[in-house]
Amino acid sequence: MADSTRPADSPGAAGVSAEVRRRCLAAADGTISDEGFAALQDALRHDPAAVEYYLRASRMTHVLEEIAAERATDAVSPAPLTKTVAGSPRRRVAGWAALAGATLLAIPLAFFLWHDGEPAGEGAGIAAAASAGDGPEETVVGHATLRRAVDVVWAKGAPSYRGGALLPAGPVAFDAGLVEIDFFCGATVVVEGPAALTIDSDWAARVMRGRLRADVPPAARGFTVRTAETEVLDLGTAFALDVSPDGTFAEVLDGEVELRSSSGEAAETRLTTGQSRWLGEGTAPAGGGSWPGAADLEAKRVSETRRRFGEWKAAAAQRAGDAGLLAYYPIAAGGFDRVLPNEAAADGPPAAAGDGALVGMVAAVDGRFGAESAGLSFERPGSRVRTVLDGEFPALSLSCWVRIDGLDRRYNALFMADGYENGEPHWQIRDDGRLMFSVMVDDSAVVEHFSELEGRVVRDAGLHRIYLTPPIWDLSKSGRWFHLASVYDPAAGRVRQYVDGELVADETIQEKFLVESLRIGPAEIGNWGQPFRQSPAFALRNLNGVIDELAVYRSPLSGDDVRRLYDAGKPSDH
Amino acid sequence: MSSPRPSRDRQYDLFVSLLTHNEPALRRFVRSLLPGGEGLDDVMQNVALECWHKFSDFVADGQDPQTDFRRWAFVVARFKTLSYLRDAKRRRLVFDADVIARLAAAAEAAEDASRDERAAVETCLASMAEESRRLLLSVHSAGDSVARIAAESGEKARRLYARLERLRTDLLSCVENRLAGRASNG
Repeated sequence: MADSTRPADSPGAAGVSAEVRRRCLAAADGTISDEGFAALQDALRHDPAAVEYYLRASRMTHVLEEIAAERATDAVSPAPLTKTVAGSPRRRVAGWAALAGATLLAIPLAFFLWHDGEPAGEGAGIAAAASAGDGPEETVVGHATLRRAVDVVWAKGAPSYRGGALLPAGPVAFDAGLVEIDFFCGATVVVEGPAALTIDSDWAARVMRGRLRADVPPAARGFTVRTAETEVLDLGTAFALDVSPDGTFAEVLDGEVELRSSSGEAAETRLTTGQSRWLGEGTAPAGGGSWPGAADLEAKRVSETRRRFGEWKAAAAQRAGDAGLLAYYPIAAGGFDRVLPNEAAADGPPAAAGDGALVGMVAAVDGRFGAESAGLSFERPGSRVRTVLDGEFPALSLSCWVRIDGLDRRYNALFMADGYENGEPHWQIRDDGRLMFSVMVDDSAVVEHFSELEGRVVRDAGLHRIYLTPPIWDLSKSGRWFHLASVYDPAAGRVRQYVDGELVADETIQEKFLVESLRIGPAEIGNWGQPFRQSPAFALRNLNGVIDELAVYRSPLSGDDVRRLYDAGKPSDH
Repeated sequence: MSSPRPSRDRQYDLFVSLLTHNEPALRRFVRSLLPGGEGLDDVMQNVALECWHKFSDFVADGQDPQTDFRRWAFVVARFKTLSYLRDAKRRRLVFDADVIARLAAAAEAAEDASRDERAAVETCLASMAEESRRLLLSVHSAGDSVARIAAESGEKARRLYARLERLRTDLLSCVENRLAGRASNG
C-alpha cells in the first residue's frame, strides 16, 4: 500500500515495513485476519521496532476509543456540557463506579457523607448523597469563550449566548452586532454580523458568512478558518476575511497565511502582510471600511454598558416608590460604605428601618454594569449584610441579580431570615445548582417524609417545605449575571420562581404547608445568621459570588412584573 | 472527624491514591495486550481488586512510590490478563504468552514517554477535516458506523474502509512526529 502522498516516515516507524505497520494497526482495532495476526506475532517476536510500533498503534486506538465514548456520553447529556480533559476521561471514572459497588469505595464515602451533614437546620437530614462528591471530577466542555458581545441580535433557530459563555462545537449565528471569540488555542476572532460560523475545535472554525478579524499569537499558529472556497491557515499573526455567498476576500494584516483551496486540488498560496486575495465569482466587492477589531468592540461595549446603566438608574429611582416594596437595595448605584440604605419609600417601614449593615469581609466589587457600578461579594466565609424587616405580610416576593463564581457550600445563601422560625423564608441555592425557596410552617415539629427528588425518606427538623427549581447553574455559567425571583403567594396557593424573567418552577402550596402570615425579622443577605446556636461554630452558607439589586416585596409579583424587573436591570451582554 | 482512623483506612487512602494515579497507564497497558479491546473493563476490574487484595505485599523500595507501584501493578495486570485470556477460550485474537512478555517489557519502558500521546492525538485529530475525524471515530462510536456514513454519503463502504486505513496510518505518523518534536502542519 505504498502511497507517495503519504507524510514522510515517522521516527517510530523506521525499519518497520508498511505491511507490518498495517498489521499492527489492524490488530489494535481487532480487524486483522487470523493469518495476518499469526504473521504479526512472528514479527513481534523478532523485531523490537515492530513491538514499539504496535504499542503506539494500540495506544492511539485506545485514545480514539476514549474520545468516541466521551462524545457519545456528551450527546446523551445535553446540559451541563461536560467533557473530560486529557488524562482523565470519564470512562475510567465509570469503571471506578463499578468497582465501588464491589467493596472498595464504600467505607470512606459513607464516612464522608456522614460528616458532611450540617448541624440543625433544614436539610439536616436531606440526602447527602444527592450531590456530594460522588461523581467524576468536574470538567466543562467547550472550544472557545464568547468574551464580549455587543448589540448582538442572535439568528432565529441558532443558540444565543451571553458574554463569558463557553462555546461548544457547533454554530454561532447572529444577524447584527459584534462578538469576540477567544479560541482555546489562543487565537482571538472578532466577528461582525450578519454572520454565521461553526466552531469545529480549539483550532478551527468554518465561516459561511460574515466579516472577521483573527489575531493569532505564536502559540496559536496553525489556527485555521475554512470557507466554502478556501482554507486559511494562519502562520502568524493577523488576518481578516469577508465571507459572502459570492466568495471569500482574504487579507493579511500582519504576518503570513497559507490559503488552500477547499477541493484540495489547487496548490497552496501564501500571502504576507498587506496582500489580499479574492476567491469567488466575478470581481471582489469594494472594500468597505475597516475590519472589525477588539478596540471598536470594547468602545462599543463601554458606551452600551453606560447607556444601560443610565437607564437602569432612572428605573431604579422610580421603583423605590413601588407599592408593596418592603426593602430595596439597588447596590449597583453605589454610594454606600458600611451601611446599605433601604431605598424603599412608599408604604415601607419608617426611615432607616431595614437598612443593611455590612459585616465582616463583605466587599463592594464591580457590579453588573462594569467598573462604574457596584455589587456585593460574599466570597469570604464571614461575609454578610444584616438587616431587620419587621411586620407580618400576606405574601412575599424576592428578586435579585447574582453572579455565582462557585457553589462552594451545600447551601449558598441569597436572603435568609435568621434562625428558621414560623413563617420565615429562606432563599438560597443548593450545590447542585437548584434555586430553593422555603418557608417554616411549624418549627416545633420533627417530620419524616418521602422525598421524590431524593428518592428516599428524609427527616427534617421542623415542618417546612422547600420549593426547588430544576438546576439553573453549573460551573460553565460561573462569572455570568442572572436575575432570580421567587414569589410566595398564599392567596393563589402557588410558589413561582423565575430566572432571567422566565418562569422555571411553578408549584402548588399544599394545605399543610400553607403559611398565610409571613415574617422576616432579623435577616441576612448573602449568608445565614444563627443567633440561637449553642456553639461558636456556624454553618457556612456564604455565597461565593456577587449580589446586586435585592428587592423584597410584601405582595406577590406577577410574571410580567418579574419580566419588567429583568428587562430594566439586564446588563449589556444579555 | 477527630476520632483516630484505623490503619486499614490509611492503607486504603494510600492505595486509592496510587491506583488512581496509575490507572490510565494500567489501562493503556492492558488494552495493548487485548487486540480489539474486548474485555478491557473486566480485566481492569480484576486487576484493581487483585491489587487491593495483595496490597500488603507491595513495598515501595525506590525513590518514587508511584513508579514502584506502577511496576508492581503492571506485573499483576499481566498475569490477570493471561488468566482472563486462558478462560476466554473462544476469543479469536490472543497473543501467545511469550509475545505478551515482550509487549509487557516494552510497554513499561515506553510508559513515561507515552503520557503526552492523548494530547497529541487530539491535536492531530483537530487538524483533520471533519469528515476524516468522523470516519476515524465512527468505528469506535456506538451511534455511528462506516455503514452509516456510506449510506449517508453514497460512497462505497469498501472505499471508506480503505480511506480509514490510510487515515489511521496518517494519524499515527502525525502523533509520532508531534511527540518527536518535528511537528509539521500536515
